[in-house]
Amino acid sequence: MNREETLVQLRNIVKPYINNEEAFENFTENTDFITDLNINSANLVDIILDVEDYFKIHIDNESMEKMVDVKSTLEIIETKLAKK
Amino acid sequence: MIGNDIVDLALARFESNWKRPGYLDKIFTPDEQLLISTAANPDTMVWNLWSRKEAAYKIYNRATGIRGYFPLKLVCVYENANNGFVLCNGHTFYTKTKIVKDKIHTVAVTDIMDFKLVTELEPEIKIIKRKGIPFLIEDITNSLNPVSVSHHGRFSAFVGLKQ
Repeated sequence: MNREETLVQLRNIVKPYINNEEAFENFTENTDFITDLNINSANLVDIILDVEDYFKIHIDNESMEKMVDVKSTLEIIETKLAKK
Repeated sequence: MIGNDIVDLALARFESNWKRPGYLDKIFTPDEQLLISTAANPDTMVWNLWSRKEAAYKIYNRATGIRGYFPLKLVCVYENANNGFVLCNGHTFYTKTKIVKDKIHTVAVTDIMDFKLVTELEPEIKIIKRKGIPFLIEDITNSLNPVSVSHHGRFSAFVGLKQ
Protein backbone atom coordinates (compact mmCIF):
# COMPACT_ATOMS: atom_id res chain seq x y z
CA MET A 1 0.00 0.00 0.00
CA ASN A 2 1.44 3.39 -0.91
CA ARG A 3 1.04 6.65 0.93
CA GLU A 4 -1.55 8.08 -1.45
CA GLU A 5 -3.82 5.06 -0.95
CA THR A 6 -3.42 5.31 2.81
CA LEU A 7 -4.23 9.03 2.63
CA VAL A 8 -7.50 8.31 0.79
CA GLN A 9 -8.43 5.62 3.33
CA LEU A 10 -7.66 7.94 6.23
CA ARG A 11 -9.72 10.68 4.59
CA ASN A 12 -12.72 8.34 4.49
CA ILE A 13 -12.22 7.38 8.14
CA VAL A 14 -12.02 11.01 9.26
CA LYS A 15 -15.00 12.24 7.22
CA PRO A 16 -17.84 11.59 9.73
CA TYR A 17 -16.08 13.67 12.41
CA ILE A 18 -15.12 16.86 10.57
CA ASN A 19 -16.60 20.28 11.33
CA ASN A 20 -15.02 22.26 8.50
CA GLU A 21 -16.04 21.19 4.99
CA GLU A 22 -13.74 23.66 3.25
CA ALA A 23 -10.63 22.37 5.01
CA PHE A 24 -11.79 18.81 4.35
CA GLU A 25 -11.95 19.52 0.61
CA ASN A 26 -8.23 20.31 0.81
CA PHE A 27 -7.34 17.22 2.84
CA THR A 28 -3.56 16.73 2.54
CA GLU A 29 -0.66 15.45 4.61
CA ASN A 30 -0.45 18.92 6.14
CA THR A 31 -4.02 18.91 7.45
CA ASP A 32 -4.44 19.19 11.20
CA PHE A 33 -7.38 17.33 12.77
CA ILE A 34 -8.07 19.98 15.40
CA THR A 35 -7.00 23.34 14.00
CA ASP A 36 -8.03 22.69 10.36
CA LEU A 37 -10.89 20.19 10.48
CA ASN A 38 -12.22 21.43 13.87
CA ILE A 39 -12.68 17.85 15.01
CA ASN A 40 -13.87 17.60 18.59
CA SER A 41 -11.09 16.16 20.74
CA ALA A 42 -13.50 13.55 22.12
CA ASN A 43 -13.95 12.29 18.53
CA LEU A 44 -10.19 11.78 18.05
CA VAL A 45 -10.68 8.55 20.02
CA ASP A 46 -13.20 7.41 17.42
CA ILE A 47 -10.72 8.13 14.63
CA ILE A 48 -8.04 6.12 16.46
CA LEU A 49 -10.44 3.20 17.03
CA ASP A 50 -11.61 3.37 13.40
CA VAL A 51 -7.97 3.36 12.19
CA GLU A 52 -7.30 0.30 14.39
CA ASP A 53 -10.35 -1.52 13.03
CA TYR A 54 -9.77 -0.64 9.40
CA PHE A 55 -6.03 -1.41 9.21
CA LYS A 56 -6.18 -4.21 11.83
CA ILE A 57 -3.40 -2.62 13.88
CA HIS A 58 -3.02 -1.68 17.55
CA ILE A 59 -2.28 1.95 18.36
CA ASP A 60 -0.36 2.19 21.62
CA ASN A 61 -0.59 5.26 23.84
CA GLU A 62 2.78 6.60 22.75
CA SER A 63 1.69 6.58 19.09
CA MET A 64 -1.71 8.04 19.96
CA GLU A 65 0.00 11.11 21.47
CA LYS A 66 1.14 12.20 18.02
CA MET A 67 -2.13 11.62 16.19
CA VAL A 68 -3.30 15.22 15.96
CA ASP A 69 -2.55 15.64 12.26
CA VAL A 70 -2.66 13.65 9.03
CA LYS A 71 1.09 13.36 8.54
CA SER A 72 1.82 11.83 11.95
CA THR A 73 -1.15 9.51 11.60
CA LEU A 74 0.03 8.25 8.20
CA GLU A 75 3.51 7.62 9.62
CA ILE A 76 2.08 5.64 12.52
CA ILE A 77 -0.16 3.56 10.23
CA GLU A 78 2.79 2.80 7.94
CA THR A 79 5.07 1.85 10.83
CA LYS A 80 2.45 -0.44 12.37
CA LEU A 81 1.62 -2.09 9.01
CA ALA A 82 5.31 -2.71 8.34
CA LYS A 83 5.60 -4.59 11.65
CA LYS A 84 2.67 -6.88 10.90
CA MET B 1 -2.59 30.29 34.27
CA ILE B 2 -6.06 29.50 33.06
CA GLY B 3 -7.85 26.86 31.01
CA ASN B 4 -11.50 26.04 30.50
CA ASP B 5 -13.67 23.54 28.70
CA ILE B 6 -17.36 23.35 28.02
CA VAL B 7 -19.48 20.34 27.05
CA ASP B 8 -23.01 20.46 25.65
CA LEU B 9 -24.38 17.15 26.88
CA ALA B 10 -27.03 17.02 24.17
CA LEU B 11 -24.38 17.30 21.44
CA ALA B 12 -22.01 14.93 23.25
CA ARG B 13 -24.75 12.27 23.31
CA PHE B 14 -25.26 12.78 19.59
CA GLU B 15 -21.62 12.88 18.42
CA SER B 16 -19.90 10.49 20.85
CA ASN B 17 -20.68 6.94 21.85
CA TRP B 18 -18.47 6.38 24.89
CA LYS B 19 -19.93 2.87 25.28
CA ARG B 20 -18.15 1.86 22.09
CA PRO B 21 -15.70 -1.02 22.87
CA GLY B 22 -12.22 0.31 23.60
CA TYR B 23 -13.32 3.95 23.88
CA LEU B 24 -12.98 4.45 27.63
CA ASP B 25 -9.68 2.50 27.78
CA LYS B 26 -8.05 5.01 25.42
CA ILE B 27 -8.90 8.08 27.48
CA PHE B 28 -9.68 7.16 31.10
CA THR B 29 -7.48 5.48 33.72
CA PRO B 30 -8.83 2.43 35.62
CA ASP B 31 -9.67 4.68 38.61
CA GLU B 32 -11.56 7.10 36.36
CA GLN B 33 -13.43 4.21 34.73
CA LEU B 34 -14.44 3.02 38.19
CA LEU B 35 -15.88 6.49 38.92
CA ILE B 36 -17.86 6.24 35.67
CA SER B 37 -19.17 2.71 36.20
CA THR B 38 -20.27 3.43 39.77
CA ALA B 39 -21.75 6.90 39.10
CA ALA B 40 -25.48 7.53 39.45
CA ASN B 41 -25.28 9.12 36.01
CA PRO B 42 -22.36 7.62 34.05
CA ASP B 43 -22.99 9.87 31.05
CA THR B 44 -22.53 13.03 33.12
CA MET B 45 -19.45 11.55 34.82
CA VAL B 46 -17.78 10.81 31.46
CA TRP B 47 -18.13 14.43 30.32
CA ASN B 48 -17.40 15.88 33.75
CA LEU B 49 -14.03 14.07 33.81
CA TRP B 50 -13.39 14.82 30.14
CA SER B 51 -13.95 18.57 30.59
CA ARG B 52 -11.43 18.53 33.48
CA LYS B 53 -8.81 16.85 31.31
CA GLU B 54 -9.42 19.28 28.46
CA ALA B 55 -9.30 22.37 30.70
CA ALA B 56 -6.05 21.11 32.29
CA TYR B 57 -4.57 20.26 28.89
CA LYS B 58 -5.13 23.84 27.71
CA ILE B 59 -2.90 25.12 30.53
CA TYR B 60 -0.34 22.35 30.02
CA ASN B 61 -0.15 23.17 26.30
CA ARG B 62 0.28 26.90 27.01
CA ALA B 63 2.85 26.36 29.75
CA THR B 64 5.03 23.77 28.01
CA GLY B 65 4.31 24.31 24.30
CA ILE B 66 3.73 20.55 24.09
CA ARG B 67 0.88 19.58 21.80
CA GLY B 68 -0.51 16.07 21.56
CA TYR B 69 -3.27 13.65 22.42
CA PHE B 70 -2.49 12.03 25.76
CA PRO B 71 -5.68 11.93 27.86
CA LEU B 72 -4.35 9.02 29.98
CA LYS B 73 -1.48 11.24 31.17
CA LEU B 74 -3.99 13.79 32.44
CA VAL B 75 -5.08 12.01 35.60
CA CYS B 76 -8.22 13.27 37.36
CA VAL B 77 -8.28 13.34 41.14
CA TYR B 78 -11.99 13.59 41.81
CA GLU B 79 -13.04 15.16 45.11
CA ASN B 80 -16.70 15.67 44.22
CA ALA B 81 -18.84 16.66 41.24
CA ASN B 82 -17.55 20.24 41.42
CA ASN B 83 -13.97 20.03 42.70
CA GLY B 84 -10.74 18.21 42.11
CA PHE B 85 -7.41 18.43 40.38
CA VAL B 86 -5.65 16.98 37.38
CA LEU B 87 -2.08 15.66 37.44
CA CYS B 88 0.09 15.64 34.32
CA ASN B 89 3.83 14.92 34.12
CA GLY B 90 4.55 16.53 37.50
CA HIS B 91 2.16 19.46 37.05
CA THR B 92 -0.98 19.96 39.14
CA PHE B 93 -4.03 21.77 37.78
CA TYR B 94 -6.91 22.60 40.12
CA THR B 95 -10.39 22.33 38.66
CA LYS B 96 -13.85 23.65 39.41
CA THR B 97 -16.77 22.20 37.48
CA LYS B 98 -20.29 23.56 37.19
CA ILE B 99 -23.12 21.43 35.89
CA VAL B 100 -26.32 23.21 34.91
CA LYS B 101 -28.84 21.11 32.97
CA ASP B 102 -27.03 20.13 29.75
CA LYS B 103 -23.99 22.34 30.34
CA ILE B 104 -20.79 21.09 31.96
CA HIS B 105 -18.17 23.79 32.40
CA THR B 106 -14.75 23.26 33.98
CA VAL B 107 -12.23 25.97 34.80
CA ALA B 108 -8.65 24.94 35.61
CA VAL B 109 -5.90 27.01 37.25
CA THR B 110 -2.30 26.35 38.28
CA ASP B 111 -2.52 28.19 41.63
CA ILE B 112 -5.60 27.41 43.71
CA MET B 113 -5.72 31.09 44.82
CA ASP B 114 -6.32 32.05 41.19
CA PHE B 115 -9.93 30.83 41.40
CA LYS B 116 -10.66 34.20 43.03
CA LEU B 117 -9.35 35.97 39.93
CA VAL B 118 -11.27 33.96 37.34
CA THR B 119 -13.42 36.17 35.16
CA GLU B 120 -15.77 35.36 32.28
CA LEU B 121 -15.22 37.71 29.37
CA GLU B 122 -17.62 38.99 26.73
CA PRO B 123 -17.62 37.29 23.31
CA GLU B 124 -16.75 40.67 21.71
CA ILE B 125 -13.18 40.61 23.04
CA LYS B 126 -10.31 40.71 20.55
CA ILE B 127 -8.45 37.41 20.42
CA ILE B 128 -5.22 36.53 18.68
CA LYS B 129 -3.74 33.04 18.46
CA ARG B 130 -0.03 32.32 18.75
CA LYS B 131 0.85 28.74 17.81
CA GLY B 132 -2.80 27.88 18.32
CA ILE B 133 -2.88 29.35 21.84
CA PRO B 134 -5.33 32.23 22.38
CA PHE B 135 -4.50 35.63 23.87
CA LEU B 136 -6.69 38.63 24.61
CA ILE B 137 -5.57 41.92 23.10
CA GLU B 138 -6.02 44.75 25.61
CA ASP B 139 -7.75 47.74 24.03
CA ILE B 140 -5.56 50.61 25.19
CA THR B 141 -2.13 49.07 25.69
CA ASN B 142 -2.35 46.40 22.97
CA SER B 143 -0.70 44.04 25.45
CA LEU B 144 -1.48 40.30 25.28
CA ASN B 145 -3.01 38.40 28.15
CA PRO B 146 -3.78 34.67 28.30
CA VAL B 147 -7.41 33.82 27.65
CA SER B 148 -9.04 30.41 27.39
CA VAL B 149 -11.72 29.85 24.78
CA SER B 150 -14.19 26.97 24.68
CA HIS B 151 -17.13 26.17 22.37
CA HIS B 152 -19.35 23.15 22.16
CA GLY B 153 -22.86 22.94 20.72
CA ARG B 154 -25.06 25.69 22.15
CA PHE B 155 -22.46 26.92 24.65
CA SER B 156 -19.27 28.93 24.63
CA ALA B 157 -17.05 30.58 27.23
CA PHE B 158 -14.14 33.02 27.30
CA VAL B 159 -12.28 32.93 30.58
CA GLY B 160 -9.34 34.97 31.88
CA LEU B 161 -7.68 35.97 35.14
CA LYS B 162 -8.06 39.50 36.56
CA GLN B 163 -4.71 41.27 36.59
